[in-house]
Amino acid sequence: MTLLLTLALLVIALMGAPLFVVICAGALLGFYSAGIDLSVIAVEFYRLAEMQVLLAIPLFTFAGYLLGESQAPQRLVRVTNAVLGWMPGGLAIVALAVCAFFTSMTGATGITIVAMGALLYPALKHAGYPDNFTLGLITTSGSLGLLFAPSLPLIVYGVLAQQLGIGEPISIEQLFIAGILPGLLMMVLLSGYSMYVARKLNLDLQPFAWRELRSALWQAKWEIPLPIVVIGGIYGGWFAPSEAAAVTALYVLLVEVIILREIRLRRLPEIMREAMVLVGAILIIVGVSMASTNYMVDAEIPKQLFEFIKEHVDSRAAFLMLLNLFLLVMGSVLELYPALVLGVPLILPIAYGYDIDPIHLGILFLTNMQIGFFLPPIGMSLVIASYRFNKPILEVCRSALPFFGLLVVSLLVITYLPWLSLVLLGRN
Amino acid sequence: MTSADRASALQRGLHALHRLEDLFLALMLAAMILTAAAQILLRNLFEWNFSWGDPLTRLLVLWVGLMGALVATRQNRHIAIDLVTHLLPARIRAGVQALTSLFAAIVCGVVAWYAAIFILDERGYGSAGLLGLPDWLLHSVIPLGFGLISLRYALHSLIRSHAAVTGTQDVAP
Repeated sequence: MTLLLTLALLVIALMGAPLFVVICAGALLGFYSAGIDLSVIAVEFYRLAEMQVLLAIPLFTFAGYLLGESQAPQRLVRVTNAVLGWMPGGLAIVALAVCAFFTSMTGATGITIVAMGALLYPALKHAGYPDNFTLGLITTSGSLGLLFAPSLPLIVYGVLAQQLGIGEPISIEQLFIAGILPGLLMMVLLSGYSMYVARKLNLDLQPFAWRELRSALWQAKWEIPLPIVVIGGIYGGWFAPSEAAAVTALYVLLVEVIILREIRLRRLPEIMREAMVLVGAILIIVGVSMASTNYMVDAEIPKQLFEFIKEHVDSRAAFLMLLNLFLLVMGSVLELYPALVLGVPLILPIAYGYDIDPIHLGILFLTNMQIGFFLPPIGMSLVIASYRFNKPILEVCRSALPFFGLLVVSLLVITYLPWLSLVLLGRN
Repeated sequence: MTSADRASALQRGLHALHRLEDLFLALMLAAMILTAAAQILLRNLFEWNFSWGDPLTRLLVLWVGLMGALVATRQNRHIAIDLVTHLLPARIRAGVQALTSLFAAIVCGVVAWYAAIFILDERGYGSAGLLGLPDWLLHSVIPLGFGLISLRYALHSLIRSHAAVTGTQDVAP
């Protein structure tokens, strides 16, 4: 019976029903069959109002949307280019760095590809990079940066893990610190490849110029404090993520709307609505998943799964490999947040059974999601890039292949070298 | 009044409702930003802030989340798996969407119903929450939000069934 209902829900999900509804239906059926009063769903959903850190989601998303509507991305690219442009592959590295920063603030929701792609794609082509390299780079950049503060998906992972309460309690700040080295590893590998490509093509180098740097910095003077406040504030422990979000939202609002006046006041309600539609779609999934998680734990589903897997997979290394394959496919089929709310409550207890640190698992989980985004043939980034740049999806897949390969290498390193995620926390 | 008049009156009514939803969402977000920023400022300058400030911002997360979800429902922008439906012919797709929307309307309706029962119970206790407002009122957004989302999906379902039966290309509301 349970199996039949699960299959029915799966079919409904594949027919295109909203995922929050499917998760909610699962929780309702579970509570009903366990004889629990269905009013419990209101109590569970109310948890959305009990976690201060969730404030970061609407506030950062709003700030990200505002920045995307202003000229800030252009100024950001100009500054980064003045700093890094003289290196071989400099502009490509600029693209990687700027996209990573942008994605860390907005989540991998396709906004990066749409907003930054419009800017970077022509610039890279103009600098002489071949079409397929440019296409692959932009597609990859769409999900780069998920491991850096103030990554909202990392916050959601932390919230879900805290709800489960397995092992010693973990904090959002710890997750951010754990993401630094793995995130940098991916950046370094991709930058190295870009340098190699640029060297081989013998592209003209732009000489480093103090004048350009000074003028670019001056032009971006209002935005320069932002990364310092956000990144420095969170990593330095001055601000909780929700506080950094509040400061960022208010600051961006003042700068772009009142000081620089790049966004008209009349457009503000529309931008607010657009941002909050995304936030609503995320929060309602997180809210109903509080209920479904609780049901899964009560029904000891993770425990049963663990015992089943334990019978067939006895080594930790083999489990990790299976986990990666599973998460990659999940990341390409589901969007990030549904994948998190469905995956974490099931996988975290099992992984803990295999002695995997919940913080390491978080980094592993998001790395897989990041790669799953452009796993051929249906990864979301591929679809968005194909649509945005009007290229056949196969061509996008082919262009993304070298980048894909490099990220799989980083995934393997991150998987089998937990040290990379844990050393800065002193947890290994 | 001809049926065209009635249709355009309905359109205008819906349009006004949408503006109202958008305005409400923008006001709540503005309140959230201002309260959260004021709290930090006060804490750092005077080492003091409003005791109701943090709970208020948390409550606004719930309200903004549900109202945002309501607008996402209106615009059909909830996260879903879109692998199969776009491969189907238009009429069958409309039929499938009518069914999934009906399913969504029922599930959200059930949540709204049980959440309402919970809120009514809470009202019976009469406990006071934030800013002296009764708890049940502050929590009422859960049945309210899910109720409105359920109505929206019912509306979607009707429009989609109509498109499936007549084969007309409908305009999304």
